Amino acid sequence: MPLISLNNLSKIYPLGNQQIVAVQELDLRIEAGEFAVLAGPSGSGKTTVLNIVGALDTPSTGRVRVDGCDYREMKPKALADFRLRRIGFIFQSYNLIPVLTAAENAEFTLMLQGVAPKARRAKISALFAELGIAGLEERRPNDLSGGQQQRVAIARAIAPEPAVILADEPTANLDSHTAEDLLQLMRRLNREKGTTFLFSSHDPLVIAHAERVISLRDGRLENDIRQEIG
Amino acid sequence: METLLLAWRNVWRNRRRTLITILAMSFSLMLIQAFHNLSFGVYAQMVDSGVRSGSGHIAVYRGDYALSRDDRLLWVMDEMGVMGVMGNLQTRITALDGVKAVLPRIYLPALAQSSRESRGILLTGIDPIAENGINPLLKQIDAPALIKSLDGRDALVGSRLLSELKLKVGNKFVVTAQGPEGQLVSELLRIRGLVKSGIREVDGSLVMVGRQRAALMTGQSEAIHELAVILENPDLEEKLLPLIGAMLPADSGLNAVSWELAMANLANAIKLDYASQKFIFLIIVLIVTIGVVNTLLMSVMERIREFGVILAVGASPARLRATVMTEALLLGAVSMLFGNLLGALATWYLVEIGIDLRDFIPETMEFGGVVFDPVMRAAWDINYMLQMSAYVLLLSVIASLYPAAKAARIAPAVAMRHH
Ligand SMILES: Nc1ncnc2c1ncn2[C@@H]1O[C@H](COP(=O)(O)OP(=O)(O)OP(=O)(O)O)[C@@H](O)[C@H]1O
Ligand SMILES: [Mg+2]
Repeated sequence: MPLISLNNLSKIYPLGNQQIVAVQELDLRIEAGEFAVLAGPSGSGKTTVLNIVGALDTPSTGRVRVDGCDYREMKPKALADFRLRRIGFIFQSYNLIPVLTAAENAEFTLMLQGVAPKARRAKISALFAELGIAGLEERRPNDLSGGQQQRVAIARAIAPEPAVILADEPTANLDSHTAEDLLQLMRRLNREKGTTFLFSSHDPLVIAHAERVISLRDGRLENDIRQEIG
Repeated sequence: METLLLAWRNVWRNRRRTLITILAMSFSLMLIQAFHNLSFGVYAQMVDSGVRSGSGHIAVYRGDYALSRDDRLLWVMDEMGVMGVMGNLQTRITALDGVKAVLPRIYLPALAQSSRESRGILLTGIDPIAENGINPLLKQIDAPALIKSLDGRDALVGSRLLSELKLKVGNKFVVTAQGPEGQLVSELLRIRGLVKSGIREVDGSLVMVGRQRAALMTGQSEAIHELAVILENPDLEEKLLPLIGAMLPADSGLNAVSWELAMANLANAIKLDYASQKFIFLIIVLIVTIGVVNTLLMSVMERIREFGVILAVGASPARLRATVMTEALLLGAVSMLFGNLLGALATWYLVEIGIDLRDFIPETMEFGGVVFDPVMRAAWDINYMLQMSAYVLLLSVIASLYPAAKAARIAPAVAMRHH
């Protein structure tokens, strides 16, 4: 069974007496361990798909199954818990809570899970070292560079060992050098830990790093290409 | 614990707004506490001087004298006790724990005549020894000018009455009242001193003599209208009223009433005054609450995206609600502590120094038929202060309900598109 399966998925936003079709009859399967990107021009529905996969939004029609769970059968509280344990999120910017330190931000998901402070701190220290941000634990997000902030966000996403990490344009605010580093880092996590990654991006750099490029146009699947990368 | 820490940091995110909100809450708490304590002190002082010159904290009357002031409702405390009950009633009430003094009094409407004028008066028969040091009307009278015996002809006369009768201290005058069979009875009295209470009615109509001298005009030298019981502490009234009531023989027609009933004027004046004050308090509270709601709502609206992230990574809406409410509670707690500090300082000042009204208001100060001290002084009402502190916490939580609900209703997908 695929890790993520979308069947005949549509999302329609009512806008006045018009309707905006953001996603249209989309069928998609993503296996565990994939490193895939949803590509496509602005407004093609990338974020909408990602939000639906992440249980942040509900489809108008169609069916979503992630990690064996059918969202239609779950109550909001169960969905929140599912997000907490099985899904990691990385957003484009303002990912972090400004009043928390880097370590506290990274620990946030573990804290929500009720992990004891000591165990949390140990896990986050190890992750910070692994992600190349050791020593920044006590900094506030405002005192971190964009790349460092995204690494903290990755630490927060990966700490609960989720089934999939959803990253919506994670490199959009980074220079290409930093973006490259970040992508390699995520690729390494994908290989070493087997964590599935699903991005949305129109950044060629991201697309170049992905094993699979799922192109959307006007909410429809345009192309689904697997590519070899180093 | 983490929620508390997170909330605490969030509270201080917008330092200026938080400080302004805390100041508004603390100042309101201070104002309410200080003004309440001031009223509490002034009312207590008024009640104290009112009951001492008036009915006592508890009064014993025959029939409905408290309401009707019907001067035929006389009664007698003889050596055998009241109407056959053993032991003197005055002695027995005095022996109760918490009773400071028991003052027998008789009040007779009468006519005072000098050689040139006549005036309607209230001839008040008292026990001068027992009243001295208790009754504020006697307070400014020098010892030699006080009356001393129960049946002497020496009288204390209201200052205005004295001048209206065109008399001086040492002069004699005649008092005429109705006797037991309707005949007119006259007594010759000598002015020993004058009473200057500041209350128009008292100064214009008071004639005080030993109670037996007044009672003689009724034909029974032991007759009285009132037994005014002064307590050590006004709070004892609740406990002592039934005890004193139980001492009165059922068939005697006597009953014990509280000062609130015996001096309804004063009690109502205080109630009315306090009600208008409470109304102002309510308005203050309302305005501050709206301010707190505004602050909290602003802080939620500014964080829509952040709340979206928090929801996205797996927090439940209930957690966001709790966060906002905790922030409000912290805001309330800091305001409560600071407000109490200010309230205590203000009260301390008002207790120790008070407000001197002599510079503002000339002459007399009368309220509900009672004269009060021109230096208004607060008294500590700790219970009230604690109660108001609890209200501050409660109100801040109430103020957070709507902003918290707003935070809990955030849809993460929409919030994430917020920039
Ligand atoms: N809440 C909404 N109400 C109405 N229309 C919406 C809403 N959210 C998204 N849309 C519309 O749905 C379509 C798909 O939007 P979406 O954000 O998924 O595109 P995207 O591929 O992520 O674009 P971008 O690259 O700009 O992020 C767009 O036309 C967008 O305007
Ligand atoms: Mg998008």
